[in-house]
Amino acid sequence: MKIRHLVLPLLLAFALPAAAADKLFLYNWNNYIAPETLKRFEAECKCEVVQTYYSDNEELLAKLAAGAKGYDVMVPTGNTVEALIKGGQLQPLDRSKLPNLRNVDPAYLNTSWDPGNKYSVPYAMSTTILGYNDAKMKELGLPTDTWAVIFDPKYLAKVKGRVTVLDSSAELFAAAFKYLGYPANDVDEKHWREAAELIKKAKPYWAAFNASSYIKELTVGNIWLVHGYSNDIFQANQDAQAAGRKFRIVQGMPKEGAVLAVDSMVIHKSAPRPDLAHLFINFMLDGKNSAELTNLIGSGNPNLDAAKHIKPELKALPAVFPPKEVAAKLEQLNELTPAQRRLRNRLWTEIKAAR
Amino acid sequence: MRKRRAALWTAALVAYAFLYLPLAIVVVYSFNDSRLNAEWVGFTLDWYRKLAHNEEMIAAAGNSLLIAFAASVVSTVLGTMAGVAMHRYRMRLLPILVLTPIAIPEILMGVALLIFFVLLNVTLGLLSVALAHIAFCIGFVAIVVRARLAGMDESLIEAARDCGATPGKAFWRITLPLIMPGVVAGALMAFTLSIDDFVITFFTAGAGTVTLPLQIYSMIKIAVTPEVNAVSTLLMLLTLLLIVVATRISPSLLRSS
Repeated sequence: MKIRHLVLPLLLAFALPAAAADKLFLYNWNNYIAPETLKRFEAECKCEVVQTYYSDNEELLAKLAAGAKGYDVMVPTGNTVEALIKGGQLQPLDRSKLPNLRNVDPAYLNTSWDPGNKYSVPYAMSTTILGYNDAKMKELGLPTDTWAVIFDPKYLAKVKGRVTVLDSSAELFAAAFKYLGYPANDVDEKHWREAAELIKKAKPYWAAFNASSYIKELTVGNIWLVHGYSNDIFQANQDAQAAGRKFRIVQGMPKEGAVLAVDSMVIHKSAPRPDLAHLFINFMLDGKNSAELTNLIGSGNPNLDAAKHIKPELKALPAVFPPKEVAAKLEQLNELTPAQRRLRNRLWTEIKAAR
Repeated sequence: MRKRRAALWTAALVAYAFLYLPLAIVVVYSFNDSRLNAEWVGFTLDWYRKLAHNEEMIAAAGNSLLIAFAASVVSTVLGTMAGVAMHRYRMRLLPILVLTPIAIPEILMGVALLIFFVLLNVTLGLLSVALAHIAFCIGFVAIVVRARLAGMDESLIEAARDCGATPGKAFWRITLPLIMPGVVAGALMAFTLSIDDFVITFFTAGAGTVTLPLQIYSMIKIAVTPEVNAVSTLLMLLTLLLIVVATRISPSLLRSS
């Protein structure tokens, strides 16, 4: 029978990967480590880094909650770490193996959900800010340093149908809170309703709630102003320049403050190789290695030692190294209680349904 | 008469355009000389060259093909057996058992399989994904095979038995060749279902196991480049090739019977 010729190679193919050399399993975002960094680490640890990707923190949570294992290091965002700690999914870090931790800006350590950084250390970050087409905004004489430009009909009238905001209730409410002068994590129901009213009034002027294709819309020139992630806006400008557009896509840091999202490195409780995991985390806390990611994707950098390795045109961006007065107004989002979540979902549904 | 014919032609053209235009656009834009891929800039083969050097994408494609191949072979054998059994023994429980995996939502099946694998301490990887794919493909193969059997003339088998064939021989020499188009169609269906499955694969894949759909999905956040178009084009070519091969093996597959 010919079948036999097929079955044997198949069995071998399934069996072979089990015979493993030293491997570190990294559960990461796509394109979230520079290839040259990866190569140097593999040379240093004499191991192979195997990456698997997720594209949403909820994906990571769902998968781990169901019991998946085999991952060493993961890079969840902000308060996702809180859910992982509460779910008993992480193992405490061994500080003695992380001497490079001293490079990290103390402003980004000691979060409310992981006091003393027992489980997590900052990897890279992004801010949720404004992104705009500089030629168009200049032409229209619109300000680019305030949330007013996406919430106040006075300005919006000039860019009607050319604005998108993120399709995320957490992010949009936080921006509205900042504009109204409340903290991003405000839980006062009155303030929630006020923010919802503000959003409903601005909605007719927006082209869409868009969290995925706004990079492309900016670079093509269809959309002139967005509420979006700093890394995406950086990417949009890279693409626009590469395509030879006559305009630039610029990051606008609102003076009222913005949401900060720090991605942290954590080790899974049943990591096969905690030794390699610590080696990797310490390696990524080195200034040069951390800088390479910023140079690649324009991510914010919590590493003080990275500054000297970062391209000058990037270093000046407030989203990469927020100056003290900007950093003071950045806030990381907290997890909501179920009751608060229900309220927000109800308001969000009303907003989406409103005409 | 002529009018009706024109209307039929238009309807057919619109339907085919709706089905194939998006695919044609994907193929055309895989040759577009622009990372953005928003408008046509110029012809290039760069994306195929890049693809040839993209080890991650090649590994993912390799995994996808391996899993799809294993899943379609095993599920075709088991699915054919299930289809024949459903046709021959009219037990009420059997169709329910075989067909439930088709009917339940994919996400439920994915989570359930993940929890099941974790309980059994199966290391998540190629094997767990392949097993999961086999599980949901069996039902599809069984349906197609049973449909084919329903249209078969039972007297042929009776004639074979009268001429002295054992039940096994009758199956191999008469039943199987007759239902072959159904079996091949089932295998093809299993292959395509497996190669583009995302939800179940997402839950049952472990650390380091990346398939093509998982790889492409994780790239969406950082904007899809024509490289994705290129890999999709190659996949379409492969599917086309499979259909051509299948129709060669079993020419009646394309004929209405």
